[in-house]
Amino acid sequence: MGAALAKDADHPATGAAAKELLCSSAEITTGDENAQAIVHVLTCGSVDDGKSTLIGRLLWDVADLPEDTRASVAETLLPDGRIDLSRLVDGLAAERAQGITIDIAWRYVDAGARRYVIIDSPGHEQYTRNMATGASHADVAIMLVDARHGVKPQTRRHAAILGLLGVRRVILAVNKMDLVGGNETRFREIEADFRSLTARFAFEEAAAIPVVATTGDNVARSSSTMTWYEGPTLIEQLNRTPPRGSVEAASFRMPVQLVVRRPPDFRGLAGTVTSGSIAVGQTVIDTTSGRRAAVRRIATMDGDLEVAHCGQAVVLQLDTDLDIARGAILATPDDPAIRTKRLDARLVWMSETPFDLQRRLFLRSATDLVPVSSVRVSARLDLETLTEIEASDCVHNDVVLAAITLRRPVALDRFADHKGTGALVLVDALTGATVAGGTAVALHEAADPEAAGFRLTTAMLAEGVCAGVEPTSAEFRRRAIALLKVLKAAGVDAALEANDEEMGGAYS
Amino acid sequence: MSMTKPISRLDVLEAESIHIFREAAAQFRKPVLLYSIGKDSTVLLHLARKAFFPQRIPFPLLHIDTTWKFRDMIAFRDRTARDLGLDLIVHVNEAGRAQGINPIDYAPSLYTDVMKTEALRQALDRHGFDAAFGGARRDEEASRAKERVFSFRTAEHRWDPRHQRPEMWNLLNGRLGTGESARVFPLSNWTEGDVWRYVLREKLDVVPLYLAAIRPTIERNGTLLVLDDDRMRLAEGEKVVPRRVRFRTLGCWPLTAAIESEAADLLSVVTETLAARTSERQGRLIDHDQAGAMEKKKQEGYF
Repeated sequence: MGAALAKDADHPATGAAAKELLCSSAEITTGDENAQAIVHVLTCGSVDDGKSTLIGRLLWDVADLPEDTRASVAETLLPDGRIDLSRLVDGLAAERAQGITIDIAWRYVDAGARRYVIIDSPGHEQYTRNMATGASHADVAIMLVDARHGVKPQTRRHAAILGLLGVRRVILAVNKMDLVGGNETRFREIEADFRSLTARFAFEEAAAIPVVATTGDNVARSSSTMTWYEGPTLIEQLNRTPPRGSVEAASFRMPVQLVVRRPPDFRGLAGTVTSGSIAVGQTVIDTTSGRRAAVRRIATMDGDLEVAHCGQAVVLQLDTDLDIARGAILATPDDPAIRTKRLDARLVWMSETPFDLQRRLFLRSATDLVPVSSVRVSARLDLETLTEIEASDCVHNDVVLAAITLRRPVALDRFADHKGTGALVLVDALTGATVAGGTAVALHEAADPEAAGFRLTTAMLAEGVCAGVEPTSAEFRRRAIALLKVLKAAGVDAALEANDEEMGGAYS
Repeated sequence: MSMTKPISRLDVLEAESIHIFREAAAQFRKPVLLYSIGKDSTVLLHLARKAFFPQRIPFPLLHIDTTWKFRDMIAFRDRTARDLGLDLIVHVNEAGRAQGINPIDYAPSLYTDVMKTEALRQALDRHGFDAAFGGARRDEEASRAKERVFSFRTAEHRWDPRHQRPEMWNLLNGRLGTGESARVFPLSNWTEGDVWRYVLREKLDVVPLYLAAIRPTIERNGTLLVLDDDRMRLAEGEKVVPRRVRFRTLGCWPLTAAIESEAADLLSVVTETLAARTSERQGRLIDHDQAGAMEKKKQEGYF
């Protein structure tokens, strides 16, 4: 017998005490759904601005830190007698001393029921790349400046990357206010610079807060000296971030990850709802084929659901087998995703190898991997002036606008409409490396799928040249590609229905 | 349609892990789940079942048996595999066993290298697995704070922390370069507290060693070791003392420190853990063997 955990009535989790434990820690269901949220916070700024101290201050003031950690940090005092809060984050400094490169560090901070995931890129190397990666996971970003220096070129760079990667909420922490005498005029100047900067990006909320990380003023408690400031503390502002997936105003999207089968006849489409929600009985449309079906069942191991909400990982069983697989995006017919072979994307070039027209690439969408036929860079964003300059190539850490043509259509959304199905990365076909990450800004719709040339379906192949061959076998694929080559040579605009990227790549 | 639904932290983490399992299963040719019997593996296995339900888990489980696991762990492993009808592969580094490599006569780092790291490489190569799921969490240890969800290894199973792929959004790029294989960490964003809360919520069965009981112990170098069989030689002055102890993490018994505790049921364990004053890896003696131990082990292919 195991740890007395048989699934019976006296399992501890069913007791009142367990319920209280679960509730008091994380599972509380109150009217305030923010209370139990996970908030991903990106910190942007350099060590010189006091970033480690600010993160340390956040941890010290709000986190449920182990007592031994507190005791050991409190042992070392700075020359002025204060606790060296940066020591709370110095695990990474120690690593740097050992010659280990940290590109992105994740810290999990529990403050009561709330979890902050603090994403930080401590290094200076590859800063754009690392910050962009961090920004793609962030719900809110803290941009840090030194009150003596105000908004700097690097602040503009940060704002541009946050804007590009779709971070909607930003906080400017004006640190070291004590070094400018807590002067309101100085703060208002910086705040005005910040406003003119953020006005250029589609931030939903941008707040500037005067703080002193070393003393904690306006971090977790209101400042007793800067009484002229009446806005929220940094923590209060962070807590205003709505939890992910809580608002479902957008249309339904579920990129299909894989097909789940159970003999004799269960065939379901597994995926995570990236937007909106879907209920049993509702009609969904597969953008790639244009075909529709109604949701018969929403299956999970914990029992069937009536509704699948944004953020939930489910399996949808449809009333009609649409013969779709990984790469498809299910949507509601009133607002489907877009099927396209040509798109404009904003890209952060991450590869250390410069842009090369000859390089074979794949475009990776939510769940599809499509061979790219060409990428044409048209402009580069100058991160200092925030203007776009005509360009035809790029090197790592560049932010560019590019026109991408694909070898076969992919289902996508504009990133501005749907983050989950409008984000993309470019993958090197040879090495598998992720060479760029970005967002779809314009989609040039492909013609109606039924009219787009001749589509070789698996069923057709199985009845014809591939008769008697297992559809998942290499032989099936070999024969399909051979037939496709013949058709193409004869001038037929043919395509395989399957989403297999190897097929797509092999006949090009 | 506009509605608001509060989703709990564990729901969010569970959905993310399921997404990761599905992404890996869809992209890798022959994945395997590294099953180490502990609480993290228990949660990992449960999430794998959820990810593919109502289908069976579409890959086998692999246990690297060092021959020094607690007997309770092995019994639990075999019972779990039988009850859930799992495809379980058990691998021992037979060359290491023949040479008598053990954690008592050899330095923990050498023993771990031979019986765990080398054994893992052997098993992955023998079966041609191109991806292995593991239960590592980023909150466990500093070198893991920067670990990716899909973490790539060279043909020699080495980890190159300087050239990791950027991971943006939840787009997990599983395309392998020549000879590469992947380690996949679905629990990356879980904390120890989350794991225990989930064990409670999902009513999961765990190895009894996690619960306090009277066990034969010795005190060595300031830590408590539980004697699981008669292979340990006592040093002069060492005495076997029955103590009420439990384990916070489980591994090879001569290398895993117990803590004194009265927490004899799961609820008490979780309560005690959530109020813990020290980090969990303190119980693993190999980590203290040398500075930067984990980083080094990982570069050499340790999970």
